[in-house]
Amino acid sequence: MSTQLWALAVAGIVVLAAACLEVFRARRARRRSAGATAAPASEPYILYFTGDGCTVCRTHQEPALAKLGQVRIDKVDAIAERTLADRFHVYTLPTTVVLSADGHPLHVNYGYATAPKLERQLAEARGGLKVATA
Amino acid sequence: MATQLVDHSALKVNQTGIVTTVLVAFVGSAVYRPLLVLIPLLAIVLLLGTFAPQLALFKQLYFKVLKPRGIVKPRPVQDRPEPHNFAQGLGGVFLAVASVLLITVPVLGLALALLVAVLAFVNLAFGYCVGCQIYFQLGKAGVIKAS
Repeated sequence: MSTQLWALAVAGIVVLAAACLEVFRARRARRRSAGATAAPASEPYILYFTGDGCTVCRTHQEPALAKLGQVRIDKVDAIAERTLADRFHVYTLPTTVVLSADGHPLHVNYGYATAPKLERQLAEARGGLKVATA
Repeated sequence: MATQLVDHSALKVNQTGIVTTVLVAFVGSAVYRPLLVLIPLLAIVLLLGTFAPQLALFKQLYFKVLKPRGIVKPRPVQDRPEPHNFAQGLGGVFLAVASVLLITVPVLGLALALLVAVLAFVNLAFGYCVGCQIYFQLGKAGVIKAS
């Protein structure tokens, strides 16, 4: 039984380390992308990084983005547009970036972001609130 | 790259099979150690299924039993099968390594097998396929032709 417990502990540590790495990556991406601008707009908008091999993009992320209504969404092929993807440290797909009207990244979501989450982030962007979320 | 119809229910059944088998081996081995043989068997099943889909045990269970009887409904999605096959193969490789470790360092072998089950569960529950993301990263780095 002790073998199982030790194995569980090792697996738990690895999962915990992965979670910490995820937080670190998100923070580093925010730092790196601070001040980065894409194309200025009159309203907050979303950069949506996707790719041919991304299933979740098609099955989850795109339906969620479609629920947002009249929001500008710039779809970016992360493999073709490497420079832009690297600027936001895109390491997984889908990745969505909520930018203020002047092109400042306010939120970077790695992996699937739900419609309510994106709506909340857009509302914060419209209200001038800057919340560090990833 | 061209997409084709991929039945995601088959993928879900596969992931369920992986999680269940590893959990049975993990919990069961506490009382009956020979159950650990399920880990190398699962590695063989996954690796065989990667290179010969007709030998993919869990997918065949879905296509031959669960789907015809209406137990699991099909969910065809326009998709590319390569990232999913890559993820399955990667799981098989990790389980093969875990099988070797089970002989030499049982704790690490079991831990590695558990991690494969955790990743399969994450894919099953949240649709986040880590193996597919590795496939994407390798494609981005030009190691494999993924785009």
